Amino acid sequence: MVRFEEVALSYGEGPKVLEEVSYAFAPGSFHFLTGASGAGKSSLLRMMYLSLTPTAGRVSLFDQDVASLRRAERAEMRRRIGVVFQDFHLLDHLTAIENVSLPLAINGESDRTTRQDVAELLAWVGLADHLEALPPTLSGGQQQRIAIARAVITRPSILLADEPTGNVDDRIAIRLMYLFEELNKLGTTVIIATHNESLVAQFAHPVLRLASGRLTVERDFLGGTGAVGQMVEVPHGGEVT
Amino acid sequence: MSGAVFERRRDIPLKRDASGRYLPWLIAVMVYLAALALVSAMAMTKVAGQWQSSLTGQLTIQVPAAPLADAETEEDNTGNEAAVNRVMDILQATEGVTAAEPMPLAEINQLLEPWLGVSDASASLPLPRLIAVTIDTEGRFDLGALRQRLRQSVPGTTVDDHQQWLGSLLNLAGLVRLVALFVVVLVGLSAVVMVVFVTRMGLAVHRQIIELLHLIGAHDAYVARQFQWHALGLGLRGGLIGLACAGLTLFAADHFISQLEETLLPTLSLQPWEWALLGLLPLIAATVTMLTARITVLHSLSRML
Repeated sequence: MVRFEEVALSYGEGPKVLEEVSYAFAPGSFHFLTGASGAGKSSLLRMMYLSLTPTAGRVSLFDQDVASLRRAERAEMRRRIGVVFQDFHLLDHLTAIENVSLPLAINGESDRTTRQDVAELLAWVGLADHLEALPPTLSGGQQQRIAIARAVITRPSILLADEPTGNVDDRIAIRLMYLFEELNKLGTTVIIATHNESLVAQFAHPVLRLASGRLTVERDFLGGTGAVGQMVEVPHGGEVT
Repeated sequence: MSGAVFERRRDIPLKRDASGRYLPWLIAVMVYLAALALVSAMAMTKVAGQWQSSLTGQLTIQVPAAPLADAETEEDNTGNEAAVNRVMDILQATEGVTAAEPMPLAEINQLLEPWLGVSDASASLPLPRLIAVTIDTEGRFDLGALRQRLRQSVPGTTVDDHQQWLGSLLNLAGLVRLVALFVVVLVGLSAVVMVVFVTRMGLAVHRQIIELLHLIGAHDAYVARQFQWHALGLGLRGGLIGLACAGLTLFAADHFISQLEETLLPTLSLQPWEWALLGLLPLIAATVTMLTARITVLHSLSRML
């Protein structure tokens, strides 16, 4: 589903942010990605949603090397990926319901036909009374829930969430995690970057840790029904295949 | 094709841009100038046509004045009259000549009144005589042969078919038309450059939103559509303002021209198709604006990640 092979990343002439990252996320798996602030979690996610190109190595999505994708193909691939951005990236001039329906509109679906579904999802995340509210009038937690609703509204094949519970209380955080698990049960591959160790401890999913630019498996599969990923073996000095 | 295509999304807040405030006025100025240039070209075409149709098939024959010595010996300038009669005889015998009429002496005296006062100048001065000739342009008329016969019969007689000065006037009219059309093209190019600039500015201002749309899976065409519909609205609004201003100007100019007497200035009465062309200007401006915005967006986005 998502495969990193000997991936390295550095910004300009700066030091390497990621180094020799090799890991394959199996379809339908659920992973936590942890690490200290600045460890490269967001960079790893950005490569997964095609916002960043690795300095070295190969990133594959849906068995396709993303470097070989043409512009239109990248757009099509992005439609299969839901992203919860750390800073939400909501459009301030659009209402909550318009923000959430944005991926549907981009997919070519009419606002009229999708409005009911979008309203139900917003109600599920506790924003039934804020359908027409503009993001700047909402709290950080409420904005975060809009961002999450926007990421899952299309039932993406892959859900990438960057600190999705950073601005909500524990009760809402758990509720949102249940939402991600529900999606995962429907087949969505979920990767959540978070530094909330207590939250990670409450869910039985593999945990990957980024430290000093390197990715390690901190906790393997603890049970449940989800698939798991695995470290990718790359022949020393050889071409990744 | 889904209904979303026809619904006007406003994911990119282009209406808030400064360009949305001044672009319609710039388009209005462009349409105003284009409308006036087009009307000038149309009016000049009309005038040239009028000149040509009024002078085609007309000749002016000038019979030289009889020598002064002869005039003194004869009481009523009859030597000159005899020459006129000989010319008239030749004209009547010439195939293709449908009418020939010498200018009456009274009329010649009248023409000279501003300089000589009321007098019988034609009787006492050696004046040339003019004969207005109408020819059948469809028939077999040989201008060269007529000139030859007249020179032999009455030496010094000249035949003016007006082509020399008419040709110059038509050339001038053609030049004015070309200049007017050049102005229209220039105005159109200026509008295109302006829209390209404004669109690029919009792309820079809304870069983050556009990147977000891309990350959510938007194709370049989705982004371009929002710019193009916005540009269409601005172009249409500006075009209508420009056309309204041009209409007022033309109305005022027509009113002013109609106050003048004996004018050579053309009237501004246009054919229905000419009015239709002017009426299409806002649509043309809006379409050009829309297409320019679309092409600019697609071209610019193709260079983004």
